[in-house]
Amino acid sequence: MLTYILRRLLYSVVVLFAASFLVFTMVSAAGDPMSELRLNPLISEETLQRQAEEKHLNDPIPVRYVYWVKEAVTDKFGTPLFVNEPIWDDLKRVIPHTLALVLAAELISLLIGVSIGIYSAIKQYSVFDYAATTFSFLGFAMPVFWLALMVQIAVTNLFLAWNVRIFYTSGLSSPDPGTGLHWLLDRAQHLALPVMVLCVLNLAVYSRFMRASLLEVVNTDYVRTARAKGLTEQRVTMRHAVRNALIPVVTLAALNFGALIGGAIITEQIFQLDGMGNYFIQNLFSQDVYPIMAWLMITAIAIIIFNLIADILYGVLDPRVRYD
Amino acid sequence: MHRLGLAALLAVVAMVAAVFVAGGSAGTSQKPKTGGTVIFAAEQEPPCLNGALDGCNNTWTSWTVGTSLRALYIIKPSFAIVPDMADGEAKVSRTGGKFTLTIKIKKKAVWNDGVPVTVKDFVYTMQSYLDPKNEVAGRSGWDSIGSVKSLSKDGKTFRVVFKTPYAPWKVLLATSLYPQHALQGTDFNTVWNENYNNPKTGKAMGNGPFILSNYTKGQSITMTRNPKWWGPHKPYLDKVTFVFRTNTDTEIQAIRGGEVDAIYPQPQLQLVDLRNQPGLKIESNAGTTFEHFDYNQQLKGGMPLFRAPWFRQAVSYAINREALINQIYKRFNPKQGVLQNLSYANSQKGQYEAHFGVYKYSPAKVAQIMQKHGCTKGSDGIFTCQGTKASIKIGTTSGNRLRELVVEIAQAQAKAAGIELVPANAPSRILFPQLSDGNYQIAMFAWVGSGDPAGQVDIYGCGGAANWKGYCSKKVTDLLRQSDAELDPTKRTALVNKADAIMALNVPTLPLVQKPTFLVYKTKIKGIRDNSTLQGPTDNMEDWWVS
Repeated sequence: MLTYILRRLLYSVVVLFAASFLVFTMVSAAGDPMSELRLNPLISEETLQRQAEEKHLNDPIPVRYVYWVKEAVTDKFGTPLFVNEPIWDDLKRVIPHTLALVLAAELISLLIGVSIGIYSAIKQYSVFDYAATTFSFLGFAMPVFWLALMVQIAVTNLFLAWNVRIFYTSGLSSPDPGTGLHWLLDRAQHLALPVMVLCVLNLAVYSRFMRASLLEVVNTDYVRTARAKGLTEQRVTMRHAVRNALIPVVTLAALNFGALIGGAIITEQIFQLDGMGNYFIQNLFSQDVYPIMAWLMITAIAIIIFNLIADILYGVLDPRVRYD
Repeated sequence: MHRLGLAALLAVVAMVAAVFVAGGSAGTSQKPKTGGTVIFAAEQEPPCLNGALDGCNNTWTSWTVGTSLRALYIIKPSFAIVPDMADGEAKVSRTGGKFTLTIKIKKKAVWNDGVPVTVKDFVYTMQSYLDPKNEVAGRSGWDSIGSVKSLSKDGKTFRVVFKTPYAPWKVLLATSLYPQHALQGTDFNTVWNENYNNPKTGKAMGNGPFILSNYTKGQSITMTRNPKWWGPHKPYLDKVTFVFRTNTDTEIQAIRGGEVDAIYPQPQLQLVDLRNQPGLKIESNAGTTFEHFDYNQQLKGGMPLFRAPWFRQAVSYAINREALINQIYKRFNPKQGVLQNLSYANSQKGQYEAHFGVYKYSPAKVAQIMQKHGCTKGSDGIFTCQGTKASIKIGTTSGNRLRELVVEIAQAQAKAAGIELVPANAPSRILFPQLSDGNYQIAMFAWVGSGDPAGQVDIYGCGGAANWKGYCSKKVTDLLRQSDAELDPTKRTALVNKADAIMALNVPTLPLVQKPTFLVYKTKIKGIRDNSTLQGPTDNMEDWWVS
């Protein structure tokens, strides 16, 4: 197992280098990061030239990449193009915000999605199953940006009609969120809508996956054997079928979680949450390659780690899988 | 008849009464209340807080934290630059043939720790801008100063002698001053990146009506009343909190739902619907950002016909700017007019002269010019001149819906006049490098100005750093150069306008409109008003109060 993990980690380093070089090249070649600054009458040509020299913008892209690697390794990703603020400080701030959002959304959707999937499979072709199927397809089909905007408008209209503030439509917290329970309540009021939006999509995925996986398992020989042994239907389902049907769902959840560390970009942008996704978008708009690269590295590392966790979990949950 | 007459009389009486009642209520001035907080949505988060540095130099930096650092002069909504911390207008003179300013700082003007604002702060600010180690946005103006000398013991009166005449000196004096007693000896590049604290005491610093009391990165900036504010009255509000809302749709819902009290977004069409929302007030004005059509005369990426002034004139007659304003920009600001001058804004009375007003939409005039120069109309209705079809690529920043709409409408207008405009929009990161490389034909974009015509020679002078279109008139270049060194405001305006009149004939650029600003606030917020200059709407926060 240890050899397997070490080998996977070694491969990952190569993948990280390849991914970072490709993204660096593509973002750098996409345009002039100083284009907007050139229209600012308060920024002189001399200043622009100095910045270009300091950040090696006049050098060929591979040379700039080498400078970036050096800075990333020795100085925790260094600083953005035009600001003397460490990138790492920003990442340390936004990662917990994204984790809070993603963890809440993942846990809620796993809990509800798996339950819906199990019930749908047990009551296959029932009214509940048809309803769940319909809602999951709606969840799949609805664009996140549209759903997010609709939710914002609906909550605002409710406020205008009743003058009662249940949820906030943007931001991570109020300017004066208080402390302790007040702070917690304020944060929950701000996170509720983005979590809800993320849950809709995740619920659809997990419930469909769980339903399909359980339907496959209930027809296997070992489930039939369990029934033949005279076990109760509940014990057969929960102990033998659901446990095994969860294996692909757990793998999917681990992969999904890893990918979401990069931030639910659209959701964070629309709800103005100071998370990884919003950080990425802000810097993409300003064409600042350095924060984008830092974001990419963190996201790629998270995906690699969670891929590895998924593989290991697979082996733990399924005794037939052995690592070589 | 008698009944009708009585009814008419009653109606007139009722109308007169209504007018009196309305007038009476409008005329009732409410006494400002002290206390309360205003939450203002900022469309951008300052990249860092020290607005003098190139990385932090952003309008939202000065509109948020920047309000705690006042300057000797301030730009008013009328575009006039008037004394703020300065006690009256600076005295302009020539000492030994050199341009000299004698400036007096208001006696009451102090930092929030009680230390008076003096010449030391001016000198420290100047040195910070001039220190080559400091990554400041620009040194223009500061580098023209030869010496500064205190004329009074308290350091409140001082003389600034310039090495060379510097006409936009008022713009220079509208730069925020930095506290010498707190910052001397610190690293200017890093000291105020995340707070405005005095490094010696750890307490927030400022000389404005509000002082930065909290900055939660990624979320908000809170400004708290400065008890030592030296203005005519103490600030009414306790606090002003700026929350960052970078998405226009989110901003709209936030102001509709009362999560914020005011927004100041870039003009977007979806904002217009807010006019129907009860409890909100909207102010839209013409700003200092000049939208225009730039005609590239360079052969590299341009069009050969554009080298001829008559062709540029024909294209200008083929674009109905009046209709563009009516269809698009008047939806924001019903008073919005066509910009007819490249240097001055409509509201700059006594300076603005409508030289480009001759270019009124006229397909007949286009046909007349074209025919005079031997152009013939093809079967598609488009002129061909000297073997070149009058088909021109027009590019603007894609994703900017307003500009895209302008291009679409202009395309239809020009086609009706026999000129084909082919959209070639691109994202700003692609478009602007193309412009600075001279690789375009017509570009629609904007120059951000200050209300002062300084620096026009860079845009329109021969070989100017931002003269991407390749326009060159020796006469215009000389006039603009002279204007930058002319200290008499009347003579300076005359020089600028003379250059503008020549450019109206040559049409290197066709001005379109001053980009509208769009301030939305709750009706319960009083004292707030737009300032469409770079000074922004937060320049009078001390006057805001909540009814």
